[in-house]
Amino acid sequence: MQNPLHLDPQQAFNEVATFQRKLAAGLQNLRGLGEQEYANTPREAVYNEDKLTVWHMKGSNKPTARVPIVIVYALVNTVWMTDLQEDRSLVRNLLEQGEDVYLIDWGYPDGADRWLTLDDYLNGYLDRAVDAVRKRHGLDAINLLGICQGGTFSLCYTAMHPEKVKNLVTMVTPVDFRTPDNMLSHWVQSMDVDLFVDTLGNVPAELMNWVYLMLKPLRLNQQKYVSMVEILDNPAELKNFLRMERWIFDSPDQAGEAFREFIKAFFQQNKLIKGDLQIGRQPVDLGMVTQPVLNIYATQDHLVPPDASRALQRHVGTTDYTEIAFKGGHIGIYVSGRAQREVAPSIHQWLRQRGA
Amino acid sequence: MPDQATDFLKDYQVFAQQSWDTWMRYLQQQPGQANPMGLGMGFAAMPQDDMLSRSLASLKAYGNWLQQAAGAGLGQPSPWQQPVAMQSFLAGFTQPFAQTVAGIDSASAFGLEHQWQAWLQAMQRAGMAAGMPNSQLAAFGITREFQLDQQALQAAMQEYAQINARYQGLLQQVNAQGVAKLQELLAKHSEPGKQVESLKALYDLWIDAMEEAYAEMALSQEFKEVFGALVNAQMQVRKLQQQQTEQMCRELGIPTRSEVDSLGKRVQQLRREWKARGQGESAADSSVVDALQGEIAALKRELAASKAAKVSSIERPASSENGKTPSRRTKATRSAAGKRK
Repeated sequence: MQNPLHLDPQQAFNEVATFQRKLAAGLQNLRGLGEQEYANTPREAVYNEDKLTVWHMKGSNKPTARVPIVIVYALVNTVWMTDLQEDRSLVRNLLEQGEDVYLIDWGYPDGADRWLTLDDYLNGYLDRAVDAVRKRHGLDAINLLGICQGGTFSLCYTAMHPEKVKNLVTMVTPVDFRTPDNMLSHWVQSMDVDLFVDTLGNVPAELMNWVYLMLKPLRLNQQKYVSMVEILDNPAELKNFLRMERWIFDSPDQAGEAFREFIKAFFQQNKLIKGDLQIGRQPVDLGMVTQPVLNIYATQDHLVPPDASRALQRHVGTTDYTEIAFKGGHIGIYVSGRAQREVAPSIHQWLRQRGA
Repeated sequence: MPDQATDFLKDYQVFAQQSWDTWMRYLQQQPGQANPMGLGMGFAAMPQDDMLSRSLASLKAYGNWLQQAAGAGLGQPSPWQQPVAMQSFLAGFTQPFAQTVAGIDSASAFGLEHQWQAWLQAMQRAGMAAGMPNSQLAAFGITREFQLDQQALQAAMQEYAQINARYQGLLQQVNAQGVAKLQELLAKHSEPGKQVESLKALYDLWIDAMEEAYAEMALSQEFKEVFGALVNAQMQVRKLQQQQTEQMCRELGIPTRSEVDSLGKRVQQLRREWKARGQGESAADSSVVDALQGEIAALKRELAASKAAKVSSIERPASSENGKTPSRRTKATRSAAGKRK
C-alpha cells in the first residue's frame, strides 16, 4: 500500500503561491466588472397588479405556436433564471422553437404583502394573469410551465381551474414533500411555523439564502469561491459566475401568510398527495388534472429530490403523462450546456405533438 | 541539511499571512470608492471592512485549510505506513468545517449573536436594559412587569444557548465523521497512478468527505429535532425582544409593528372582499346579459318561425311546383321578408 498523498513540498508551496498570485491579480478584474446584466430578452409588460408583472417575451421571429405558454416561477428567487444570459436562456430557446412565451414576475413582497395567502396568489394573481393572457389570444385555455414551487402552484391551479389550462409542463417540481432524502422538508418538520411567521412577518430573503447554503455548506460557501479564483483571469467566465451570484442572492422576501400555509400544508402535512389540500375555499385534487402533463425533473437535484417530482405520476388524473429525467441539478436544468440543447426542444416537441 | 518539510511549513505560513494582509489592505485602501459619502474613514470604514471580511471569509477559510493541511504534517516522510501518524494527520482537519459553518451562521440573517448584541446596546442606550435581573427572584414593585419581561427574555436566551450548544455538538460530530470518511477516500488513492498529487485535489477530497458526513447528519432524526428546536428558540427570543421594543414604542407614541400588521391584515381582507364583489358583480352582469341575449334570440326564433309559417302557407302551392327544398325557400323568403321590412 502506497502513501495516497504524493505531495512534493516545493510543488505544494508553488501551488499555494500560484493561488495567492491569481487571487491578487484577479482582484483587478473583479473591481472593473460591476453588476452583470441578465439576458434581457426583449419583452413587453402586458399585465400589472400590485408587484406582479406579466411579461410577453419577444423573439426574433413571430411565434408559430397557436397556444401561448405562461411560465410560473417560484416565489423564492426570481424568474430571471429562465433568461439568465444570452446563451443560457430557456426563454430564448423556447422562442427560437416558435413558442409564444409569457413570464410571471411575482416581484418583491414588502410589508404591504405580509397577509397575502396562497389563495391570493393562486386564485387571485395567477388566475388574473392567466385570464389576461387568454384574453389577449382569445383562447379558453393556455399552456402552463411551472418551475419548482411554481410547478406546485401550476398543479394546484390546474386542479382548481382545469378549463383554463390546455397543457401543463412541470419542471423540478415537488409533489411528494416527505421523501426521505428531502433535506429542506426534514428540517422544517419540528419547526413551529406559526411562531416563526408571527415573529418575522415576511420571511427575509437572507434567511432563505442561508437555508439554501446550509444544504451544502462547504461546497456552496467555500469550494465554489476557491474555484472562482481559477477563473479570475477569464473575464467571460468571471462575468458568468458573477451573474449567477447576482441571481442567487437577489432574492425576494417571502410573504408571511403564504409562507406559513406552504410550509404547513405542503412540507409538514404533505396534503397535495394526501388529497386533502384546500386553497382558500377550493379543494385541490390532483385527480382533476386531466390535461396532458410533461414532468421534467433533474437527476442530481439537491433541493427537489427526483422522487419528490416523480410522485406526480401516481397522483395526477391525466392519462397522457410524460416524464423526462434531465441529467443535472436544480440550476443546471436551465443554465448548463446540455440544458440548452435538450430542455426547450423537448418541451416544444411535446407541445407540438399535442397540437399546441 | 535543512528540514524540507519544516521549511515549507514555515515559509507557507508566513507567505499566507502576508498575502492575506496585503490583499485586505489593498481592498480597503481605495479612497473615494470606499467612502462615497465623504465621511471620515474612521467612521465609515468599519462596517465596510466587516462586510468585506464576510464576503472573503470563504477564501480565508481555504487559506486556513491549507495552513491546517501543512500543519497536520504535509511533507512529513511517509506517515501513512503508521495508523497513529495517519490519525494524527487527519485530526488536523477537524476544525475547518465547524469554523466555516459558524462563519456562515454569524454572517447571515439567522445569526442571533450579532443581533442580540446590537439589541442589547440599543436597549441600554434607551435606558431599558440596565442589566438582566436574576430570573430566580420573584418580581415585585412598580417595575414588576418589566422585571417579568426581562426574566422571560433571559430564560429564552439561556434556552437558545443550550440548544445552540447541542447544535454545535452535532456539527463537531460531522467533523469527526468527515475525517473518518476522508480516511476511507484516501485509502482508495493508495494505488500507483491514483495518488493525490496536489493540495487542491486533497482539498476537494476533504470537501467530498465532509459534505457526505454532513448530509448524513442533516438527515438524522436528532438533527431534525435540534434544528427545529434551535429555530423555535431563536424565534422565541426575537418575539420577546419585539414585545419589549413595542412597549417602548407605545410609551414614546410610535406606531408599533403589531398595529401596522393589524392594519395590513384589515386592508388585505378589504381588498379580497372588494375583488370578490367585483367578480360577483361582473358575473351577475354577465348572467343578466346572457339571459337577455337568450331571450332576444328566442324571440327572434319565434318571430322568424311564425313569419316562415305564414309565408310558407302562402307559397306552398308554388313551392311544390318548382321543386325547391323547403329550407332554401324559407331562407330566401325570410330574406325577402327582411328586405320588405
